[in-house]
Amino acid sequence: MAAITLGRVRTLRKTPTIPLWAWILGALVVAAIGTYPQYGSNYYIMSLLGKFLCYAIFALSIDLIWGFTGILSLGQAVYFGISAYIVALSLKINYALTHPTRYGGKIPDFMEWNGLTELPHFMTPLLSTPLAILLALTIPTFFAFLFGIITFKRHIYGVYCAVITLAESLILQEFIIEYQAYTGGFNGITDYSNYTNAPFLWVILAVAVFFFIAARVLTHSRIGTVLKSIRDNDVRAEFMGYNVANYRIFVFCVSAFMAAAAGAMYAAWVGLISFLDGGPVFSIEAVIWTAVGGRGTVIGPFVGTFLVKGAEFFLSGVLAEFWQLVMGGLFIFVVLAMRDGIVGTIANWWRKRDRGSLRQITEDSDLRAHDRQHDWEPEGAPTRSTEI
Amino acid sequence: MELASLTTQFMSGLSVVAILIIAAVGLAVIFGVAGVINMAHGEFIMVGAYTAAVVGQLGGNTFIAIPVAFVVVGLLGLIVERGVIQWIYNRPLETLLATWGVGIALQVIIKLIFGSELYYVGAPKLLDGGVRIIGRLPFPYYRIFLILLAIALMALTFFVIYRTAFGLKVRAVRRNRAMAGALGIDTARVDMMIFVFGSGLAGIAGATLAPIKSVSTTMGFPYAVDSYMVLVLGGVGSLWGVVAGSGLIGEAETILAYIYNSVIGKLLVFVFIVIIIRVVPRGIFGYYERR
Amino acid sequence: MTSKKTLRRRSILKAGAATAVGLALASNKAPYFFVRNIAKAQESGTIKVGILHSLSGTIAIIERSLHNAELLAIEEINAKGGVLGKKIEPVIEDPQSLVQVFAEKAKKLLLEDKVVAVLGCYTSASRQSVLPVFEQYNGVLLYPTLYEAQECSKNCFYTGAVPNQQLDDFVPWIIKTLGRKNFYLIGSNYIYPKETNREVKALLQKHGGNVVDEQYAPLGHTEFSTNINKLASSNADIVFSDLVGDSIVAFYKQFRQFGLSANDIPICTPITTEQEIAAMGPENAAGHYTSFNYFQSVDTPENKSFVERYKAKYGANEVTNAVMEAAYFQTYFLKQALEKVKSTEADALIFEGLPGQEFQAPQGKVKIDEKNHHTWLWARIGKANDKGQFDIVWKSNDWIRPDPWVDLLYPNKDCDFTNPKVLERLKSGGSNRSGTIDL
Repeated sequence: MAAITLGRVRTLRKTPTIPLWAWILGALVVAAIGTYPQYGSNYYIMSLLGKFLCYAIFALSIDLIWGFTGILSLGQAVYFGISAYIVALSLKINYALTHPTRYGGKIPDFMEWNGLTELPHFMTPLLSTPLAILLALTIPTFFAFLFGIITFKRHIYGVYCAVITLAESLILQEFIIEYQAYTGGFNGITDYSNYTNAPFLWVILAVAVFFFIAARVLTHSRIGTVLKSIRDNDVRAEFMGYNVANYRIFVFCVSAFMAAAAGAMYAAWVGLISFLDGGPVFSIEAVIWTAVGGRGTVIGPFVGTFLVKGAEFFLSGVLAEFWQLVMGGLFIFVVLAMRDGIVGTIANWWRKRDRGSLRQITEDSDLRAHDRQHDWEPEGAPTRSTEI
Repeated sequence: MELASLTTQFMSGLSVVAILIIAAVGLAVIFGVAGVINMAHGEFIMVGAYTAAVVGQLGGNTFIAIPVAFVVVGLLGLIVERGVIQWIYNRPLETLLATWGVGIALQVIIKLIFGSELYYVGAPKLLDGGVRIIGRLPFPYYRIFLILLAIALMALTFFVIYRTAFGLKVRAVRRNRAMAGALGIDTARVDMMIFVFGSGLAGIAGATLAPIKSVSTTMGFPYAVDSYMVLVLGGVGSLWGVVAGSGLIGEAETILAYIYNSVIGKLLVFVFIVIIIRVVPRGIFGYYERR
Repeated sequence: MTSKKTLRRRSILKAGAATAVGLALASNKAPYFFVRNIAKAQESGTIKVGILHSLSGTIAIIERSLHNAELLAIEEINAKGGVLGKKIEPVIEDPQSLVQVFAEKAKKLLLEDKVVAVLGCYTSASRQSVLPVFEQYNGVLLYPTLYEAQECSKNCFYTGAVPNQQLDDFVPWIIKTLGRKNFYLIGSNYIYPKETNREVKALLQKHGGNVVDEQYAPLGHTEFSTNINKLASSNADIVFSDLVGDSIVAFYKQFRQFGLSANDIPICTPITTEQEIAAMGPENAAGHYTSFNYFQSVDTPENKSFVERYKAKYGANEVTNAVMEAAYFQTYFLKQALEKVKSTEADALIFEGLPGQEFQAPQGKVKIDEKNHHTWLWARIGKANDKGQFDIVWKSNDWIRPDPWVDLLYPNKDCDFTNPKVLERLKSGGSNRSGTIDL
């Protein structure tokens, strides 16, 4: 048993490095996006590019905890949303100072029509946008830390974790809608200065590349190996001596930080934030993009996001309903037939040419699904229960 | 807060509890036994509601719609189970995603068939009006019917699971799948039957809940959310958990809504659920469930 | 060795591919997809108009009818030769009742499809989210829905009722003619109901009514037993409802289920239309009142013909309502404006084409006010009958001038696009694109 495990670890660490053609392709893509403002005349497409990049970073954050560590969080958008709201509020407050509302006040319009007459005290730090950005990055990470401690230390994971995160996402959504004096409620925060321009696109692109490289380094390091082992069988990892809960908390915080960064840039880029950005539907959509692209790979989320959202863009309008059907079918298809997503499937096929596919080593491929004891409560049951 | 209005409020709370039970019992059966997270549960309810709408247009009423919806949505469950679920039984998180896809697809298909206007489903004339229990407002007969129906459904489910041969197999599979298989029980068939049964229950939920709310392609999601909250709170795999979870959530929501308002009520209930789950991760009856 | 799993996966993949191809071929929309991008390049022979209404989601119940009415008008206009010698091409987007998607689609319509104008929006939330887009890219939005006013954006033309064309007569009528003074206010939780209730409260103060309670429910909320319970145990004798969308249906249904009758406590609302009544069933609405500038039962020759044509195109069971009537005539306003200025340029439409346009609408003659870009409308009050239609119990004697900064609350503000100071401010290109001026 130990030999196989160690053997797997060694094999994983010798995962082929990124081949040269991938480097070149990647550089080309980055360059293409980065120079789009120059050659591209379509402003709308540029705004989409920035948005998709933010979404892709968010999807990557989900991939980190799901594809690499096996935690499915259906409420990851909470961190995205909190960060986005903080940044949006800060921008809006500053905008309102120089653009009086319909009633002439110097506070954001949604505060006015909810009866507030001056900026609430706890929002004064938001007057400084750099401070707001700092808060936007740290507060969600802190929440993730709290969540991690309460959840992972008590060994709540798997399905329960998924449902709890779903519940929290819903709470955030309800909270945002109810306290509309502070959050803009159903309308969301609109009409503030947004930075949809070329320099900011480069900022987003740079951040995306940074996170890509960081994620790649992390997942191919020792820590990444441990995370993958936690994903594959956390009981075994625990018995090997790794403090599973701590690793989970760590990766969860990293993921939340990434989501927060994505959210902050998104708020500044798009210029409209609503409760949807913190809700469960958005979280699940991001999970799907990751699944389509390839969970367990670093490039997968990017591919998946651009593919799915890009297709949505082309097929919108008349074909909108048809597209929804395709989306639904896509989920099912990806889960059933392409578990590793597009990138993963290609990678498997590629690796199969060299040696036996890693998946075939780890899967009980000859047992029918039904004949296995299934159990979503991993504690106490020595089965492949954490198989996702 | 006079006694009369508080009593009426409590009765309304009971009807909310009943609604939760009716919506959640189908999911509890599927989740508790087969371990399948059916994110399309809301859409199954929605299909049940549309079935009732069609039955209504053809001249029937809710009483006729109930068995029809059971059959229709049960069949739908069969299709989903054979087509999608049977490949991924041991992977609960993936069934989550796959069934989410099924849910979306169902919404679109129903929209294409029926259009996206709201549909009118009326309560049966027999149940019009109400009985004056206390205070100014009569309590609607239909809500009393719902309370009775919730009790009936729970009784039916208990009966099926604990008193029939099929239920015995179900419990055996739940306890120790490999052993049950070794003893000759067709575990695949059991999973399929329980999924169909649970879907049928969801169909009944849709048919009976349509008259008091509105019928549209997006009506399902709130019910699904509520059902999950009930299950997680009450304990997965436990039928008593359904009652406990629904009871707590339903009454808490109603009473809090009375004291504050409906939004705060819902919010506080969610927070309350999350706190309870932290303390008792398996849900209230989860620990009592024999493994 | 190919395991069973691989075999299964292969067969699923094959089946999936086959299905996809099959669907694509079978669907007659597939060729459209490929042709669309080519066709785009060819389209300079049409006038593109954006249609931005929710066809799905909680507001679709009513917004769909707006979409339908606008398409009907476009069809009629095209049948008579179009505008400026070209046909109008509607570019349809479905924002799914989601505020964020509204803004996104608005951007797409203006930047990608380069439409001449957009006919769109129902909820104030959606309008507020798209207006910054229109103001930033200088587009033209025609907004057919009643709203809370206190706004006049350069880039928007408002063809729906403002409070002084609805509430100003409705509230006093309730107090004097119905004899009800104790108002129970219930609304959906966003800007329109909140602002409207503010005006209602001011009117109540002026005419001697009082507010018993004020409750808000989230958009899409459908459980009202608590509210009805509170209502019954209070001394309210009339419910003033600004609920929107699905909530309307649930509320009326549960109201009646709990045994409350319209004779005891009528529900009076500026929102519930024939559409929502069709969804809830006429028996749930009978006896309650709505105030609007138009009802399907309005007795004018234009209306008879309009209802006939609408039913001919969309089905004999369809109903018409005030908001889609506005959607209908605003399309004609756009057509007339384009013909007047003979250009598709936004500023030409905004400053010369649209202001002052008149049209013989199904409700009566309507006109876009030159000063504030809102519309002169007629006011009516209807009582719902058991056939799902309204009996008109009151009608204004003449059309009413719109006043977005209603004098009751804002005596010192006005909206005036003919004022030279305003024009100067707008033409100087600053970010304040409102026509509001302090007196």
